[in-house]
Amino acid sequence: MTAPDSPNAASPGTPILVGAASGEYMDRVVVIEWRVAPGDAVEHGQVVAVVETAKAATEVEAPCDGVMGEILALVGDEVAVTQPLGLIAGGADAPAPTPEPNTPADPAPREADDDARPGHDPVVRANDEDRIIASPAARRRAAAMGLGLEGIVGTGPGGRIKLRDVSAAVRAMAASPLDADAQAPSCFPDTPFPLRVTRTGIETGTPVLMLHGFAGDSSVWHPIERDLAAHHPVIRLDLPCHGRSPHDRYASFHDFVRPVLEAFDSLNEGPVHVIGHSLGGAVALALADQRPGMVRSLGLLAPAGLGVEVDSHILDGLCRAASPDSLAPWLLRLVVDPSHITDGYVRAAMATRAAPHIRACQAALAARLFPNGTQAFNVTPLLRRVVVPTRLIWGRADEVLPWQQALGAPGHVALHLLPAVGHLPHLEASAIVTSVLRDLIATAEACPGPPDTDVLTHEVHVA
Amino acid sequence: MTAAPATPQNRPSLDEHVDMHRLMVVTRTLEEQLGVLHKAGRTRGPIHRCDGQEAVGVGATAALDPQDYVTTTHRGHAIYIGKGLDPRRVVAEILGRETGYNGGRAGHMLVGSAAHGMMGGNAIVGASIPAATGMALSIQMLRQDRVALAVFGDGAAQTGICHESMNIAALWRLPVVFLLEHNEYGLTAHHSAQSSVPDLHVRAAAYGMPGEQIDGNDVVAVFQAVARAAGRARRGEGPTLIEARTYRMEGFSTSDKGGYQASEERKRWAARDPIVRSRTTLVDALGTARVEDVEQSAAEAVIAAVAAAEADPYPRFVPHAASATHAGPADRVTEDA
Amino acid sequence: MAMMRYAEALNAALHEAMTDDPTVFVFGEDVATYGGVFQVTRGLWEAFGDRVRDTPISEQSLTAMAVSAAMTGTRPILEIMYADFMPLTLDALVNQASVYGYLWGDQVTMPFVVRTQGGAGLGTGAQHAKSLDAFIAHIPGLKVVAPVTPADAKGLMLAAIRDPGPVVVLEHKRLYNTRGEVADEQGPTEIGRARLARSGTDISLIATSRMVLEAEAAAEQLAGSGISAEVIDLRTLRPLDLGAITQSLAKTHHAVVINEDWGFCGYAAELSATIMDHAFDDLDAPVERVATRDMPIPFSEPLESAVIPTVDRIVEAALKALA
Ligand SMILES: Cc1ncc(C[n+]2csc(CCOP(=O)(O)OP(=O)(O)O)c2C)c(N)n1
Ligand SMILES: [Mg+2]
Repeated sequence: MTAPDSPNAASPGTPILVGAASGEYMDRVVVIEWRVAPGDAVEHGQVVAVVETAKAATEVEAPCDGVMGEILALVGDEVAVTQPLGLIAGGADAPAPTPEPNTPADPAPREADDDARPGHDPVVRANDEDRIIASPAARRRAAAMGLGLEGIVGTGPGGRIKLRDVSAAVRAMAASPLDADAQAPSCFPDTPFPLRVTRTGIETGTPVLMLHGFAGDSSVWHPIERDLAAHHPVIRLDLPCHGRSPHDRYASFHDFVRPVLEAFDSLNEGPVHVIGHSLGGAVALALADQRPGMVRSLGLLAPAGLGVEVDSHILDGLCRAASPDSLAPWLLRLVVDPSHITDGYVRAAMATRAAPHIRACQAALAARLFPNGTQAFNVTPLLRRVVVPTRLIWGRADEVLPWQQALGAPGHVALHLLPAVGHLPHLEASAIVTSVLRDLIATAEACPGPPDTDVLTHEVHVA
Repeated sequence: MTAAPATPQNRPSLDEHVDMHRLMVVTRTLEEQLGVLHKAGRTRGPIHRCDGQEAVGVGATAALDPQDYVTTTHRGHAIYIGKGLDPRRVVAEILGRETGYNGGRAGHMLVGSAAHGMMGGNAIVGASIPAATGMALSIQMLRQDRVALAVFGDGAAQTGICHESMNIAALWRLPVVFLLEHNEYGLTAHHSAQSSVPDLHVRAAAYGMPGEQIDGNDVVAVFQAVARAAGRARRGEGPTLIEARTYRMEGFSTSDKGGYQASEERKRWAARDPIVRSRTTLVDALGTARVEDVEQSAAEAVIAAVAAAEADPYPRFVPHAASATHAGPADRVTEDA
Repeated sequence: MAMMRYAEALNAALHEAMTDDPTVFVFGEDVATYGGVFQVTRGLWEAFGDRVRDTPISEQSLTAMAVSAAMTGTRPILEIMYADFMPLTLDALVNQASVYGYLWGDQVTMPFVVRTQGGAGLGTGAQHAKSLDAFIAHIPGLKVVAPVTPADAKGLMLAAIRDPGPVVVLEHKRLYNTRGEVADEQGPTEIGRARLARSGTDISLIATSRMVLEAEAAAEQLAGSGISAEVIDLRTLRPLDLGAITQSLAKTHHAVVINEDWGFCGYAAELSATIMDHAFDDLDAPVERVATRDMPIPFSEPLESAVIPTVDRIVEAALKALA
């Protein structure tokens, strides 16, 4: 048999094209069947494949006599009408090409053949008797509270856990913390103790108080702490629910600030310079507002509470992450330059939040302070009435809190916008941040002493 | 197809005429009884009475054989009765009773009884036309000795499907008879506001089929025209369009506020009442006593039927299996048997 | 402020629009000399002459003509006597109106209105009682409104007529005689905005057209058992006021969706899916759907009332959601 239309012997074969079979409106078709396998002899005009066009299944014929060569478009593939579906080799005596392992003529065996058993429905084979049935809203509330669903009794139809059941569980826990502990080991077991304080730096001079952000702890300050410590006493606080501070529940921002104020009072320090990042920045503002004479300057790094949006996905992701692998992608969202997030950094960050109850408490806190991607508290009024030297430092590429939130600041507050920096300026731009802060501190110390406290008594700001 | 004999000149026979007269009286009494029930609030929804048009439905169906099909409109009472349906069960259907032909599901516009070849009233205007045409197609496919009769109004004659059906029927020589029951109005609109031509049978020429206009209040004329057309259909000569001119005496429906039919016009037509005219002929042939006897027993039968139907029970609701939205039981099967 | 019947409010809107804009015209079966079988177009023919036309029974052509007349400078308002006849209009809506508005961009506008009315419960039988909302709301490029109150009947009709695109107004045969306040200066009601018919905290009853009244009655009944139900009158079926739904769900966490069309692939199904898409985490129970049973509407009273949505069915659905 000869193949008059086939090109020279060196060519891999004559292409099988959909051509006119496609119909005039089509530019792509889906292969639904191959009628020949590689190695089969084919004749000009023989139907070798079936494709699906807009209207119907259409047969595709062999363009010449020969031996079926390689199949280029498998069953299920969608191809342009101009693309060859397969090739026909020169003639019947030409060596048959080795079949592709997964040619349609030799379909891969089905995964499980009990699907073929008559009367057996392969679709619904739920092997999940112990799956907990809970409403979406109940699941969300429980997660926000850091409660496991395991111990909650569902009172909905078929034992479904509903919102009311989660609320009941929370109430029960509040009523008897010991029971709660047994039922849901993840949450709120701490008895009151003071916030964790870490002191470094020189002995003399006005101390610098550092307040870290949500999901961090005082270790986040490492990149700038050393330099500041060379010139000032440095006091780092672990915020409530963070690091080695107590893990309590807070109903509001106001609630959350209270232990910080108490901790500050019990430090018995004179006036301090306060540096706060993110949530810590908002706390710093509250501190300046509540303890007017005690704060000499405010260095605020991407502070929370100045706008509405916050990226809840990142917050959720940080709270959920239970291993370095699941934490790293979220940490990467905090920076522009990924080289800052080394394996070591990730492992260290994970270590500070390894205990499930810390994560649960932070999730509950996030649900209060940042529900539904929204910052539920507003410290802009506090920023407006701050009188001590204040600087805002913000990364232009901050994904968590957009820098535009700084635009509500009053004129006497300076704004440093850092290009190509994310939500962690102290990590990504530690040199600039250090110099801005030192400059700020120097300016403040050049000022004629603490401002008049009488004028500055304000009512407590409640979120 | 068996060759059916052409209509003998002597049909309808006197007996056939008496029977048609009886059925017209049945229909008229039924319409009047429904009027009474409606006023008394014992009916539901609007009812489309055919007072004054009885000769069309009764004459046409009398010319058919029992196996022939008929489709009709929202105004089909004369057809139901003419096609041999039991008045008691027709009334029961109209009153939504379990004993109605369709168990109360259909109501007066949509009565069907396949056993009688009564293939449905239809309340989608025009829909009776392709319906009969499709039945004619089936008859042709199956080579049966049957015809299909489409009854439709002058309003329905203006629909697109009327044109489409007539073209196809003529094209394929389908055994269908198109009976246009022209009662001057489509709902409240006079035919002059609906049709570009006053006479509608002329349209038959455009399809290459015979078309004739007849006096729709003359039951014998209706019988004969339909018999001729049915004969043509049976002989494979294709469809015919018959325009039967008649008049709707009681307005569009029981919820018609009226006001658009001139009383002059109504009077003129009242003088041509199909029952009065039929009676005159019969009295000449049979004498008053015999005719009055027929009329009285027809009326009494209807009144009894209405009373019986009113006493019938309402249906109990049963879900419609063929409308099921889910295959098998709704509950998920959890156990493997 | 005047008390008006729903039909009168629609009539007032038509009157006003025809007075304001000489390109507006009304056509349909029995709309002119008789004033419409539900009297919605009463008096228009007397006032506007041949801008109000009785037509032959030719729904398919009439709708296609509305589309093309609208493309060439007029604002047609077509009455389709019963929603059951809307299938006859579908080609014009699906293959003409929907398509050209997109393909030709802003070369043409299509400011036409199709008015129709649906609804069961009056013994009108299987071909005169349906609410085919889903067929209509399914069509891209169309807006679909369904006023419940006389004020909205006027407002939405005005908005529909003034809209630059095709709008289908779904009226309801059992609303025509309901009465309500209509402000003298009642202007267009914004299309795409739901109305809070009753506020509540435990469950959201999200309804369309006359089902809003049933939902309100159900809410009243639920209140008797200490359940606070919110009733949302969607008013516009397309485009849907998503915010109104999600806001309500964020508060109540439970929903019953009520629509008089069939349930399967129906408008209520769309509402249910929309809630799943946009408020899943707010749900404390599956969304309950109350719709007409998936079958033809029977004539006989006991059968008809077994298939159409009722106050009892809404209450039952609410209790099931709250179980
Ligand atoms: C497709 C459709 N359009 C409109 C209607 C409303 N309608 C019911 S009967 C009718 C008039 C029909 O006139 P005709 O065909 O002359 O019948 P008649 O009532 O005179 O017997 C109309 C417009 C309908 N049922 N179906
Ligand atoms: Mg008529």
